[in-house]
Amino acid sequence: MKNPDTMKIRFYSEKPGELMSSGEDWNGYLEKVGQSQDKQAFAALFTHFSPLLKAFLMKSGGQNSATVEELVQETWIKVWRKAPHFSSKQGSASTWIYTIARNTRIDSIRAQARRNPDMLHAEDIYADNDHAAPHERLVQFRDKRNVTDALKALPPEQSEVLAMMYFQGKSGQQVAEALNLPLGTVKSRVRLALAKLKVALPDQMAATRNNGASDND
Amino acid sequence: MIRNHPDADLLVEYSAGTMDIAPMISVTTHLQFCDSCRRAVGPLSSVGGEMLEHADGVAVSEGLLDKVLACLDEPGSPDQEPQSSADVVDDVADVLPSYLRQFLPVGNLAWRSLSPSLKVAPIGIGEKVHELALHRIKVGGKVPEHNHKGSEITVVLKGSFSDEDGVYQEGDFIVREAGDVHQPIAAKNEECICLSVLAAPIKLTGIKRLLNPLLTFSPG
Repeated sequence: MKNPDTMKIRFYSEKPGELMSSGEDWNGYLEKVGQSQDKQAFAALFTHFSPLLKAFLMKSGGQNSATVEELVQETWIKVWRKAPHFSSKQGSASTWIYTIARNTRIDSIRAQARRNPDMLHAEDIYADNDHAAPHERLVQFRDKRNVTDALKALPPEQSEVLAMMYFQGKSGQQVAEALNLPLGTVKSRVRLALAKLKVALPDQMAATRNNGASDND
Repeated sequence: MIRNHPDADLLVEYSAGTMDIAPMISVTTHLQFCDSCRRAVGPLSSVGGEMLEHADGVAVSEGLLDKVLACLDEPGSPDQEPQSSADVVDDVADVLPSYLRQFLPVGNLAWRSLSPSLKVAPIGIGEKVHELALHRIKVGGKVPEHNHKGSEITVVLKGSFSDEDGVYQEGDFIVREAGDVHQPIAAKNEECICLSVLAAPIKLTGIKRLLNPLLTFSPG
């Protein structure tokens, strides 16, 4: 497994001109797949995103290469089937593909832990996200650019924690153990990071009891 | 007005999918009530998308695209709508967010009385670490004082209750850590129904500890 610092370095080493996936219109490709089952557009998406998905599924699941490719395959089959539901007005292709891969990973981990054919699927549980009001989706989309810039500007210790949670599939507790930090410090780094990403949290957050946070970052 | 929300790190765990399934259901249930947390979770998933875009890719096997293309034309199982257990006959079903109903067993819930004021109905979701259950406190009812050996998440679905720390209304998301002692009391005008996610057995304190064997931990 790679050092978690990899992610941090990526965010900092990005050269100007290397921005945003070489400017390809992945949203447009994904819409073509959804609207007209365009296999060329699908292959272009596959070629670009598969290595990224494999990296994600390897780090977050820890399986061997063959299993990881099965998950990559499963992710693409779901992308194909669900593509008619994608709209670039509601979010970016990368976020949409990420959530499908994330759900595939969750279900595979649960399926390993317990063979239960009737088990709940992650997408059922996240389903409510799809029912956000249209204006919320719009805000979400506009935020994408801000999120890109703000992620790059995060202090390394904050982006490291987010990278470990999103990309290595670690809970806050597991991040605390891996970095040998109190959970409260991890919680406060997440809170500070979200504030910088301008993710507006309800006011109560800062005053929540039981967080045991040492806000010394 | 919802005053108690999941901490930022819980919303990130939810968005990153690094939570067990029972706590995940409790967060989604809170989101059903809470516009502000729902607005926070939207941009959070684009953090995951960003991480994906900036990852160091790992090459996939050459034949993988062909393998995938070969699967696309198979008549796959069409997208299934989540089954709604419309035939839940329990009167509680009406007050639950429709999202939550899909997890309920068909037919009546298996309510057990844990004390004269508190009934509990487990919801089986195939999870081993947490117990997901509905709690029902009768009008003005007091739950025996207890402390927690593990953490407990409570989401108020209907009515309200109070304890030493405050009053909790519909949609409130409350975390109690191991060692916290409290005594919830339902409001005097209405029964209180909550979703509860328990990570380990809770222990009654004081004289009521005699009731302790009733509070069995039954994940599943």
